[in-house]
Amino acid sequence: MNRRNWLIASAAVTGSAVTMRFQPQKYSRDLRPKRSRVAVLHADQYSGKLDELVYDGLRPFNLNVRGKSVLLKPNLVEYISGRPVNTDTQLIGAAAEAFLRVGAASVTVAEGPGHHRDTDLLLYETGLSDQLAHRKIPFVDLNRDELIKTKLQANYSGLGHLWLPRTVLASDFIVSMPKVKTHHWTGVTLSMKNMFGIVPGCRYGWPKNVLHWAGIHECVLDICATVRPHFVIADGIVGMEGDGPLKGTAKELHTILLGDDPVAADSILARLLGSEPYAIRHIQEAGRFIGNHQGVVL
Amino acid sequence: MGLFRELQSEIEKRSLSSGGWPGGNGGRAGIETTCYALMALGDHQGPFRQKAMDVLLSTQNPDGSWPAFEGDDPEGCWATALAVITLRFVQSPLPPIERALRWLLNNKGREGHWFWNWKFRTVDRGVQFNPDKYGWSWFPGTVSWVIPTAFSLIALKQSFPCCRTERVVNRIQLGTEMLRDRACPQGGWNAGNGIVFGAVLTPHIDTTAIALLALTEDYRQPSTLQALNWLRQTCVECSSVYSLAWSAVALLIHQDRLADLCTARLRRALSSNRPIANVETLCLAAIAINAAGGSANPFQVVI
Repeated sequence: MNRRNWLIASAAVTGSAVTMRFQPQKYSRDLRPKRSRVAVLHADQYSGKLDELVYDGLRPFNLNVRGKSVLLKPNLVEYISGRPVNTDTQLIGAAAEAFLRVGAASVTVAEGPGHHRDTDLLLYETGLSDQLAHRKIPFVDLNRDELIKTKLQANYSGLGHLWLPRTVLASDFIVSMPKVKTHHWTGVTLSMKNMFGIVPGCRYGWPKNVLHWAGIHECVLDICATVRPHFVIADGIVGMEGDGPLKGTAKELHTILLGDDPVAADSILARLLGSEPYAIRHIQEAGRFIGNHQGVVL
Repeated sequence: MGLFRELQSEIEKRSLSSGGWPGGNGGRAGIETTCYALMALGDHQGPFRQKAMDVLLSTQNPDGSWPAFEGDDPEGCWATALAVITLRFVQSPLPPIERALRWLLNNKGREGHWFWNWKFRTVDRGVQFNPDKYGWSWFPGTVSWVIPTAFSLIALKQSFPCCRTERVVNRIQLGTEMLRDRACPQGGWNAGNGIVFGAVLTPHIDTTAIALLALTEDYRQPSTLQALNWLRQTCVECSSVYSLAWSAVALLIHQDRLADLCTARLRRALSSNRPIANVETLCLAAIAINAAGGSANPFQVVI
């Protein structure tokens, strides 16, 4: 390196450091818990045995959900026959049952599908309507829920506020239930990216294109800073790799991951997919204020 | 009381006391749902219709656009086209419609801007589409999507049945070409594009039906014929009231031979699902059943 290049490089490094130093903090609250816990369960297939498996997996967390309203937010994008793009319905049913067994006053499954406006048809095609009817669990279409103008608790996207569904904001305990997948734009789509689905289509479109233009990583951080999932149950029994969220091939991971910190959960899940969590912008940045990258494995 | 009247009665029962109809569980009038409800009520006079008209007219933004719902930020959205179709159908005064049409003509998908057009041509090639062919977005500042484009085309075609200015002709032409460009390879339309990252996407029934409503003048085009064919095959196996209603409305407008079968399926599905159907779905079912009985179809474009 000659003297001229060295000077340019030094100026660039100093400039960046100064810019970083004076850049306003983009989040208003530090939501990181003192310690984060995860449990990695082994499951070979989707079956009725998931009810017991999820219940047994949940108990060691000793969650304070007694008398509370629990909202399960699965990942339902679009039905594509033979392609594992959605959270499996048996796992959703098992999770609902487990939360009722540990004392939740009510469990609601809620999602705002990103592409499909006919939510009833999507529920029918995926088998979720049968699963929920059988267990008497209600479903709320977040694309068409009552909306409340909500100030975002971080400012990565510059959006300032979002109109968010009352059902989500009024829930005591939110469980993000992602399908473990790779994603063309964000590297992976896990528990934090799954929260994109709470943003209502009736206000932001099908898909929620406003968020894409504001930056996907940035919106994920803003949404999770505002509505942080309390718990994660990730469907990695059969995940998907490739150009997600829709194109890809099945990847048998035989895993259900439970965790009380979305950042810790996503860090482990990213590695499971062969990705380095620190290389995924929203996971890396979320470690500064949403959760911890490391968790205690139960 | 016939099925159509029963549906109208049910729709009226679900009206908000302040006027209009909510999109789902909400307490605010949603513009989309209120539009469908007004179409479903047609010329059935009553306090619900008048209050809903008042809500619709009072929620128009100063720039002529409509927000997504009452109390929303005043930035305007795709529901503007639907409001125009509705106001024409219920024969509202012209000034609000004219203001809305100006807004529609000034709005375009982001790929219509030279910079983003260049980006989609050179750098951002993951989604295969021709950015020279653009329509309308769900919300300003984003790219064109099928449903907002289809509704905007219907609004423009209904508003300018003849003597179209060069600007109107140009937007209708571009929007129509955009729909053809984004069709799925097997026929029909997904939300935006037929192929994404090399994967062929599956068409959606409602999106396909809505796109077909905008293409009645183009019924000989291969993409229209292919979409009609796909819709015919798919709707006979569909059980969703919402998708069946859209299918029936589209097949009726295209005077398709399967329109009666589709309407019969809709009636059957409705009888089993009606207690849980949302207002939007009820309204669309009423519009389809009324149109099947020979009454005016709000989405009809006079050629």
